[in-house]
Amino acid sequence: MRIYEQLFIVRPDATEPEIDSFLEQITGVINGAGGKVEKLEKWGIRKLAYPVEKRHEGYYVLLQYSSQPDVVKEIERRFRVSDLVLRYLTVRIDEKLKWLEKRKRQRERRARQKPAAEPAAIPGEPVAQE
Amino acid sequence: MAETKGGKPISASQQTTGTDKAVVTRRQFFRRKKVCRFCVEKIDDIDYKDVKLLSAFITERGRIIPRRLSGVCSPHQRRLSNAIKQARNIALLPFTTR
Repeated sequence: MRIYEQLFIVRPDATEPEIDSFLEQITGVINGAGGKVEKLEKWGIRKLAYPVEKRHEGYYVLLQYSSQPDVVKEIERRFRVSDLVLRYLTVRIDEKLKWLEKRKRQRERRARQKPAAEPAAIPGEPVAQE
Repeated sequence: MAETKGGKPISASQQTTGTDKAVVTRRQFFRRKKVCRFCVEKIDDIDYKDVKLLSAFITERGRIIPRRLSGVCSPHQRRLSNAIKQARNIALLPFTTR
């Protein structure tokens, strides 16, 4: 199982029910293949940094899920076939999450070591001066 | 350091003026040492979705600001440039603006 993140731009003139039914299809694919949707965020209509297919706005949707790699292939195929999706970006994030977790643990360990070292050093100084 | 050097060879006045000049020019070109913002603020996660953060590291024309100008350390610059390139692909950031 790997964790993926897909951010895609839906045509801004698509209606809300249209988007919802499309998202339902996608989540159906994931669940059908034994994956699990972890996050589904609709950012709504945003201005694009540059025109895509002659449009200056887009409806952004963020989808995070864990699944087998072949699910990504199927979803990307659906994105390409569907005329709703202007553009998509797929990122595999499980290694990044792991790395972030590791960094966080390191930070915590260092934070714990520091306060422990300081009280020991401060009482030591006056003794040395005397 | 400049004082002791200047005190010994009094006869060679050219040398002392030379060192003085060097001190002055060094001070003129002195710049504050830049520090990596990600190291200071302890930002581990440089995410392509964080447009607000990334847009601080691109120029008005949409180019990535080089490390020598922004002072970002090389591991973070690498992550940063990757994130900016990803954001460009999904139209969160511009490739160029004319």
